Amino acid sequence: MGSLGLALLDSLDIGLLLFIIAVGLNIVFGVLNVINFAHGALYMLGAYLAFSCINGLGMPFWLTLLVAPLGVAVLAVLVDRLMLRFVYQREVTDSLLLTFALLLILNESVRMIWGTGIHVVEPPELLRGTVNLPGGIRYPLYSLFVILAGGIVLFGLWFLFNKTRAGKIMRAAALDRDMAQVLCINTRLVITGVFAFGAWLAAVGGVVAAPMRAIDPGMGDKIIIESFIVVVIGGLGSFPGALLGAIVLGLIHGLGGRFLPEINLMLPFVGMAIVLLLKPHGLLGRRASL
Amino acid sequence: MNRKTFLRSAMAMAIVGAMAGTTVVQAQGKQEPIRIGAIYLMSGSAAMYGKFAQQGIQQAIDEINAAGGVLGRPLQVMMEDSQGKAATAIQAARKLVYQDKADVLMGLDSSGVAQGLVPVLPELRKPFIITHAATPDVTGKLCNKYTYRVSVNVHQNMNSAAEVAAKTGKKRWTTIGPDYAFGHQSWEFFGKYLKEKMPDAELMKEVAFPRFGAEDFTPFIDSVMASKPDGVLISVWGGDMVNFVRQANNRGFFDQDFEVLFTVGAATEVLTALGDQLPEGVWVGTRYWYGAHDNDLNKKFVADYKQRYNAPPSYNAEGAYVAVYAYKAAIEKAGKVDGDAIAAALKGLEINAPTGALKFREGDNQALIGPTWGKTGPMNNEDKIRSLTEMVTFDGQKITPPVDPECKL
Repeated sequence: MGSLGLALLDSLDIGLLLFIIAVGLNIVFGVLNVINFAHGALYMLGAYLAFSCINGLGMPFWLTLLVAPLGVAVLAVLVDRLMLRFVYQREVTDSLLLTFALLLILNESVRMIWGTGIHVVEPPELLRGTVNLPGGIRYPLYSLFVILAGGIVLFGLWFLFNKTRAGKIMRAAALDRDMAQVLCINTRLVITGVFAFGAWLAAVGGVVAAPMRAIDPGMGDKIIIESFIVVVIGGLGSFPGALLGAIVLGLIHGLGGRFLPEINLMLPFVGMAIVLLLKPHGLLGRRASL
Repeated sequence: MNRKTFLRSAMAMAIVGAMAGTTVVQAQGKQEPIRIGAIYLMSGSAAMYGKFAQQGIQQAIDEINAAGGVLGRPLQVMMEDSQGKAATAIQAARKLVYQDKADVLMGLDSSGVAQGLVPVLPELRKPFIITHAATPDVTGKLCNKYTYRVSVNVHQNMNSAAEVAAKTGKKRWTTIGPDYAFGHQSWEFFGKYLKEKMPDAELMKEVAFPRFGAEDFTPFIDSVMASKPDGVLISVWGGDMVNFVRQANNRGFFDQDFEVLFTVGAATEVLTALGDQLPEGVWVGTRYWYGAHDNDLNKKFVADYKQRYNAPPSYNAEGAYVAVYAYKAAIEKAGKVDGDAIAAALKGLEINAPTGALKFREGDNQALIGPTWGKTGPMNNEDKIRSLTEMVTFDGQKITPPVDPECKL
């Protein structure tokens, strides 16, 4: 019982962090019809900025959680205005190529600025150590914080999309951009805003991941593959899909690593293949316009 | 300045530049450099390993060139990124030989990459000195007359690890290792050698092989802790090891009363990143430890390296440094720069290395050297990494098993 509970907590820990990252990928695709290959690099940038803020400038973790993602969002605004806006009217493949170029540029820039070394960041004082949970489980406080952060992002996004005007405008722009424009919505602003918001989410994921993962030049490439598996399982462009996909992948890692270690390597891909066979657009996906 | 004069002066400058260029080329024409092609991990999580190797090569080349080069010719290195993929490394090797005219090759960090590349070497007809990848296959069933290894292989390291493990007296052992050749072979040979030294040792059925490059090791850490072993052999390395140690720390993994052995844990690349996050009292192995060898060559190598790069040399830096000197010796012995001749000259070659005298065994071209194992001790404040205590350096002559009968050179 204890070990199952522990494995489920691990699954949530892994899954909800993936959700924070993958949902940004999905929102950007939903509204902009752009598959952002550089999303993982933006996550990495968030983690490196966290490293510089915390270890370099001595900033507290909580302030970093505000500052670093904002920095990445500002960069995303520039990227949108200087690069991406020229390909929105073109085919998806063009934006795929462009964001792939962006990925290479960001990866090399990170290596030029921070070098090839591996960096670590300490968790904030408040979140160190472990706590005893019911069922005799001892669990790291920081992992509980990650689960909480995922829950907050989840609730925040639900509130944004369902209860606020900005969220409704985003959904309107996702459904029919031309119609939204006819109705006097400044779609250009919406597009830039959504791209920056997606980048912000990736960077939040990066800052949250920083105190428990190695900050190294390969971390972005690893997470983008995981994020793509999440959106393939959950459904491209679907907000609930990102949650479902992230939880499913979290369970695959958490339970698979714990109880089926011999085949843990292939499990995510088996899951993906099964979903693709039964529901080619993902569990909750809409038809992609590729 | 108007446009015409600008163009004129630009042209004049170009001509002067071109003439200056030709003189340089002519000066070097008499002594065309000997080209070393090196293939390492230069990108991704383990990019630091490639960087240290590059620094080791550069130090060796600068020393040799300052002393007049080899056969009167300077050495030059060309680096390529393996990206940790066999296919990429094979492409890189072909490019180095056919396009960049490399005379000799060296490198390789990953066993998986080595298994892919080594069978291609006879096609390229250039010697290749492996300086890091540890799979026994490349000096075993895949061996060929072009492939040499200057670094410790899995057999040598696991024979030593089993000795360390046997000394702790712990009986029930399990493992956490990356899910490819290196992780599985480490466990296989560790078990074999441990059984020889301690027949009543128990190798547990519950083992964990997470994906290489996994971001999250927590399910594996939990399951090993739940299975209550006496000792754990851990062969995750690079960024994975950093991830692992931090998540394991979080979960109190190191506070349990089992022994922990990191098979390649004393890589300075990783120790520097971890600082004091790697607890004291953990066994770590390495192919080379900069503080383990009390000889003049090592002292000079370490001092010069620290001065150049402001960090102690890692085992990858040392392996790469030694490989360049092995090529120097082989080329001088062969008297010419020809792939087949240098490969033949490397056979049975003995050179002086920071680890002491080092010899390529004739049967399989594996260097007879042993790893260093030690327990993590207090922080070394000068180098900002953990120090090693209870250090043992194993004798390569004693711990290397006989030549694999499947290797026919």
